[in-house]
Order: sequence, then C-alpha cells, then structure tokens
Amino acid sequence: MKKANRLITILMFAFLYIPMVVLIVASFNTGNDITKFEGFTFKQYAELFRDSGLLGLLGNSILIALLSTGISVAFGTLAAVGIHSLKPRMRRLVMSMTNIPMTNPDIVTGVSLSLLFVFVGTGLLGQRESLTFWTLLLAHVTFGLPYVILNVMPKLQQMNPALTDAAMDLGCTPVKAFFKVIIHEIMPGVIAGGIMAFTMSLDDFVISYFVTGSDFVTLPVEIYTYTKKPIPPKIYAMFTLLFGLIFVLMLTMNLLQLRSGRKKESKRPVSKAWVITRRCIAGVAAVCLVVGCGFLMFNGRQHETVLNVYNWGMNIADGTDETMDIIAEFEKKTGIKVNYSTYESNEVLYSKLKNGGISVDVIIPSDYMIDRMIAENMLLELDFANIPNFSYVDEQFKNPAYDPENKYSVPYTWGTVGILYNTKYVDEADVTGWELLWNEKYAGKILMIDNSRDAMGIAQYLLGYDVNTMDKEELQECADKLAEQRPLVQQYVMDQIYATMENEEAWIATYYAGDCMLMMEENEDLAFYLPENQGFNLFTDAMCIPYCCEEKDAAEMFIDFLCDPEISGANMDYICYASPISAAKEYMEDYLRESEVVYPSEEVLKRGTAYAYLSEEISRYVENLYQQATKLN
Amino acid sequence: MKRNKSVFLSVPYILWMVVFTLIPLGVVGYYALTDPDTGIFTWSNIQNLAQYMPALGRSVLYALISAGICLVLGYPVAYYIAHRGPLAQKLLYMLVMLPMCMSFLLRTLAWVGLLQDTGIINNILDAIGIGRLPLIRTPAAVILGMVYNYLPYMILPLYATLVKLDGRLIEAAEDLGCTPGQTFSKVILPLSVPGILSGITMVFVPAVSTFYISQKLGGGKETVLVGDLIERLFKQADNPNMGAALSLVLMALVFVCTGIMNRFGGDEEGGVVV
Repeated sequence: MKKANRLITILMFAFLYIPMVVLIVASFNTGNDITKFEGFTFKQYAELFRDSGLLGLLGNSILIALLSTGISVAFGTLAAVGIHSLKPRMRRLVMSMTNIPMTNPDIVTGVSLSLLFVFVGTGLLGQRESLTFWTLLLAHVTFGLPYVILNVMPKLQQMNPALTDAAMDLGCTPVKAFFKVIIHEIMPGVIAGGIMAFTMSLDDFVISYFVTGSDFVTLPVEIYTYTKKPIPPKIYAMFTLLFGLIFVLMLTMNLLQLRSGRKKESKRPVSKAWVITRRCIAGVAAVCLVVGCGFLMFNGRQHETVLNVYNWGMNIADGTDETMDIIAEFEKKTGIKVNYSTYESNEVLYSKLKNGGISVDVIIPSDYMIDRMIAENMLLELDFANIPNFSYVDEQFKNPAYDPENKYSVPYTWGTVGILYNTKYVDEADVTGWELLWNEKYAGKILMIDNSRDAMGIAQYLLGYDVNTMDKEELQECADKLAEQRPLVQQYVMDQIYATMENEEAWIATYYAGDCMLMMEENEDLAFYLPENQGFNLFTDAMCIPYCCEEKDAAEMFIDFLCDPEISGANMDYICYASPISAAKEYMEDYLRESEVVYPSEEVLKRGTAYAYLSEEISRYVENLYQQATKLN
Repeated sequence: MKRNKSVFLSVPYILWMVVFTLIPLGVVGYYALTDPDTGIFTWSNIQNLAQYMPALGRSVLYALISAGICLVLGYPVAYYIAHRGPLAQKLLYMLVMLPMCMSFLLRTLAWVGLLQDTGIINNILDAIGIGRLPLIRTPAAVILGMVYNYLPYMILPLYATLVKLDGRLIEAAEDLGCTPGQTFSKVILPLSVPGILSGITMVFVPAVSTFYISQKLGGGKETVLVGDLIERLFKQADNPNMGAALSLVLMALVFVCTGIMNRFGGDEEGGVVV
C-alpha cells in the first residue's frame, strides 16, 4: 500500500513536471520548434532581454498585481473587521456575496465585468474607450478581495474579543486599538490573503482576457495571442527564468517558516529575527506599491504622443531576418511613440471596435470591411494634405469600389487567397482546385481559414456561386458545404497556420499569398496554388483611421510614412505581399518582384474577384451561418 | 457601542460587491434578454439555447470525468505527502503548488508539443517502431489537459484534511481489529469527505468552463465545450447577447452543482481556502 502510494506520487510529479521540463529545454534550443532539439544556445535569453516589449508586459502584470493586492489587502482587512461586527444574519448574507466571485467560473466573471464596463462606459457615458487600465484594476481588485476577506475572517473569529476591550479600557481609541492589537492578531490571515490575491492576479488570464482594452495588456493575455501565432522561443526563456525565481522564492519562504515554526515549538518568545523579517516583507511590499504607483503616475503624466496602431498579425517588417524595423524607423523619424498590437481577422477587428471599447488610431482592414465600416460611420475622413506620399499609389488602386471617392483609405497591400500544400504528402493529381480542401484522403491534415468571409467565399468559389450574393438559400448551401468539410478539418486557423504547416503537422491549407510565401521560405516542400478553373479572392488591405482615433495628425503621418516607396518596398521584403505602389518595386528583392505568387500575371488576376460589403443583416447572417457550420455545436 | 461603529467599515465593501458582482450579473441578464441588432426585449436568445445543450452536457461530462480521475490520482499523493516528516511535507507541498504559479497557457502548449502528430511522444513512438498514434485533438487529450491543469486543486484540499486527521483514530481502529482496508474505508475515507468535496468542486468549476484547453488540445465536434462557445460568441461571432445567455446557464449550472456539494458536505465553511 505504502509502496503503491509512493509510486503514484512519483508518477504524478513526473506528470506535473514533464511539460515544464519540455518548456525549459525549449528555451535552450537553437531552433524554433519545441518538438525538435537542434542545439544548445543562450540566444533566446539574449533575445528576451533585448525585447523591451515582452519585459514591459511582465512589468504590466506585476504592476497590476501589486496595485490590486495593495488595494485588496487594505480594503479587505477593514471590510473584514466591519463584517465581523455585523449581526449574524447580515454577516452570512455578505459572506455569500463574497463567495460569488469565488464560486463563479472565471469566464462568467470576466464576461459580466466586461459587459458592465462596456454597458456603463460606452452605453451610458458615451465613452469611446471603455476598457482601460482602470477597468482591469477594478476587475483584479474585485476577485482579489474575497481571498483577503476569507483569510482574515477566521482570524478575527479566533481572536479573543477581550483583547480589544482591554485595549480600549487602557485608553486606546478604536483606531489605535485596531493598529495596536487587532492588526497583530490577524496578520497571518492578511499575509496569506495578500499572497493569494497577488498570485491570482499575476497569473490571471481568463478575466483579464475579457476586460482588457488596447492600452494596457498583461503578460498572460499577450501569451494567449502568442499561442495563436508562431511562438517566439524567447517566451520559453522567460518561462524558465520565472520558474527559477518562483522556485527559489518558495523554497526560502518554506525554510524560513519551518525554522520559525521550530522556534515556536521550543516555546521561546517569537524570535526577533522573524519579527524583523516580517517587517522587512511589509516594508518591501510598501516600497513596491509606492514605486508602482509612482511609475504609473509618471507614465500617465508623460504627454508624449502615443499612436496606437492595430494591424494584422505578421503584417509589418519588424527588424527580424535583416529587414527594416519600420516602427522603430518611424519613431526615430518623428519622435512619436507607437503602441503596436495585432488582430487575427477583419471580423475580430470589427467586433473589437464595435463592442470592445478599445482605442486605436490606425487600422488596416480589408476592402469589404472598409466598405462596412464606412457604411456604419466607423471611419474618419482622411486629410490627404497630410499624406503627400499618396501620389505614389498606382492609379488602379485609387478610388476603389470599397471607397469610391477615396476619402477614408490608403491602400497598404494587395494579394490573393490560394491553396498552400505540402508536395511531400499531397499527390499533384489531387491539386485541381478548391475541392482539395474537401478531399477525404487528407482527412485530419487540412487546415481551414478561420474567418467567415474567406471561408464562405471558398465554398462559393467551389460551388460556382457569386461571392457577393445576398441570396440566403445560396449562403445556406455554402454553409452546408462547410459543415460537410468539418470532419476533415484538423483546425480552423489564422496565424497559427505558420507553425502547423512548417512542421508538417498539417499538409493542406488555404491562406493569403504573402504569408504562404513566407512559409515556403521556411519549408521548401510547400507550394502555392491558385485554382485554374475556379475563382479566388483578390483583396486589398488599406490603412484607415477609426472613429475612436485620438491622434489623427500622428495617424496620418504614419500612413504617409508607410506610403514612402522605399519604406513600402522594405516592408514588402518582410511581409511578402504586393505593394499598391509600383515605385516600391525598385526597393524590393528580386525574387519577390518576380514571384508569380506575389505578383500573378494579368491573365491569372482576371479570375480573381473582390469581396464587397453586403449589408449589416447579411454580414451577421453569414457570420452566424459560418460559426454554426464550423464551431458552434 | 464600538461594535456599532466598526459595522460601518463593511459598508464600502458591500457597495463594492454589489456594484462589481451583483450588478454585472444583472447586466448579463439584460444582454441575454435583448436583441443584438435592435436592443429590444426578446426571448429568442433563451430559445436558441437548446442548440448549445450538447456542448453543455459534454462539458459537464468531461469535467466530471476529470474530477474523478483527479480524485483517484490525487488521493494517494495527498495521503503520501500527509504522512511524511515536516520538512518533506513542506517541500512536496511546495512542489504541488509550484505549477499553479506558472502560466497555464504555456504549460498547456507544452502538451501540444508532446501530443501532436509530429510531436515528441509520436516521434519517440515512431522511432521505436510502434508508429504514430492519433493523440491530440481527441476528447481524451482534452480530459488529460484538464487533469493536468487542475490536479493540484485536488491534492491541496485533500492534503489539508488528511494532515489534520487524528492518528489515534487509526490506531484505535487497528486495535479494534480492522484490516488496513477496513481502516481506510470506515475511518480515513469518511473523515476525508470534506477534502474530497472541496477538491471535486475546485476541479469541476474551472474544468467545466475552460476554453483554452479544449481549443488547444481538442478538435472536431466532440471537444467543443461551453466555454469555447461563450468565448467565440463574444470574441468572434460578435454576438454578446447569445454569449450572455449561455453564461447565465453556465453560472446556474455551477451554482447548482456547488450547492449540491455543500449539502453533502454539511455546514463546512471556507472550504475554498487553500
């Protein structure tokens, strides 16, 4: 029996720790793939410390955790004293209210708070940006408070009430009695509650995910978006460092406790060392809090211009692989600080702008979405006097169908949506058109694009329907086609496609030409195909300024900067799309300029069609059909 | 008299909790009962809930299975730890806590690396000649992810009850002629019921509402859970009203389940505190 227990315990610890060992090993890997160890290196650690963005996010997490814990501890301790002196019935009522956030699933708490903030902020107060740093802090305090209360209450109940009476008889005011007597009695509970509130806040993902806006993001929320993209291995390096840090912290804390515990047992009075350690801990916590607040105030007070740019994932040159770091160049040139974040698809962008209460200054949606946003008054008219480089844009991209008078948008890239497949596993004879994505031979190895418009579009091209149809029966038929495909699909992906296609976890996918080009550079067995007898989507992504913009001049400066042919060319070198600025070709690498994937011939392009905006009702209808067919049941 | 004064300290807290827990739930209710386009009152979100019931049933089933597995695996571990010396107890307890402090997103992602078709386990199986197995994107993988993530939540409360267990009771049972099996089933197990119930609740609640685990380790219809649906309705499908309705159902479900647990567990208080 004992041996069996021991064996199970050992196995359980192996089970708990093996995945973490995998992550730690991956942090020393020269390659990017977690499954293949290619060689030992410290490179990822160097990368981590060079990446101020990632460390900043960790700083954000710590800041929120410190502030929310500080507030929860102070507020919660006082509240516990108050609750303690309530009448029993009332006390029970308040305690069951305290239990709500503890019992409620995190997702419900997150959803309810985000709805509250959006409802009050956007609905009642008419704010454009209702999810901010402050709402995140409110949410963290709300779920931190119960931990403090639930830890302090038992200590208050254990406390001898005569102590307070004695203190007051000896001339203490109630306030003095609290600080001289009560606080010492309940200190262990306060500390335990504080530690729990702190760890919960630091590691919280689900609630933060729902109440985070665009201006202040914590590390776990960013890691979630990372896991939808190819993961930079420096994340593993950060994990390893945090693991080491927490391990050492826990170990010292436990050993200290054990020592002081032994001393208590030997019935000596509480050792001075322990009192001093406790004071030190309290002192350090207080200093951290003050520094944190100071940091926050300082950050808030800096009146430098911050431009919030919201773009597709992997859609701007960032300096890796010897490309130009466009954002850094812009910051250097103008002194404007850019806060750059990414979205996965037009639909995500739309829903964030419409409901999320975020504040961004530049967005880069696709054609049909621009059309929709114009129709719904979500875009601001551009002042082209501030965008002189617009003159470089090719005539054929001016006054496009989605923005006929060219008032709201400046084209950024254009490209096609085609099929990406692995020549090692896929028979060339099967590569005939969109039906490849429905081929049962490759069940479980097919990736489908994860957004309603592109996915429905592919079904429409396959069935030979008009992609801009408003006919609900045709749309239903397309949705049925997608539902039929579902058992064959490995995953519905956007940026996650990179890792999955490159390491050959999947063999067939459909995606944007530029991204396919990037993947083909990584894995030479990959090939790109545009159906010969069917249609395909020809899209334009264009830069716009949404209605929530607060820095319109800076936003126009940014748009102008990206239209500079030299910048545009350097940018395309990284993102591998075609530029609407012919002059940019001069600055692009030869293989790109000559690539059939990036710049298909006129003849091929004739088969391509653009998506148009249909109507709000149809958009919602299509979205609903798509979600039902692919995921929602 | 002083009692009455300190009562006022609880007022700001009560206000806070009303504003940030009760009212938000009211807002969820408001969204659940309005139309996404027009914002007028409607029952249609509630009526549409029926189609999401299979996912809800699936979530409950998987979460219960996970809680069961966690109990079976966690009990011996908790028992073992509770019977070590003080130093070993502290260290083992710490080792159980430690994973809870690390990013669960990354740890789950490590499982993707282990389980995927071109992953570490399959590479090993392939190398020793067994061949690749379909491990990831199955219900089993999702349950594995739940067990992995929430096992510490089971071990900790079990340990807390087992360590407080009075050793003299066990000696008494043995003196009175109980076999080890009988001692366990008649003395130890009944006395650890509060820990078991609190462990099951602590595993069940996050497991039934998870969306990350099923999105990463699941695939296909059999692994769509209610958390996924809520996340997608809010973040992708642009239908917060339907999402709100579903959240209400999930909340009701969890409160009913924990209510049943508490009824079984008697008037035990503060069981959630680790």
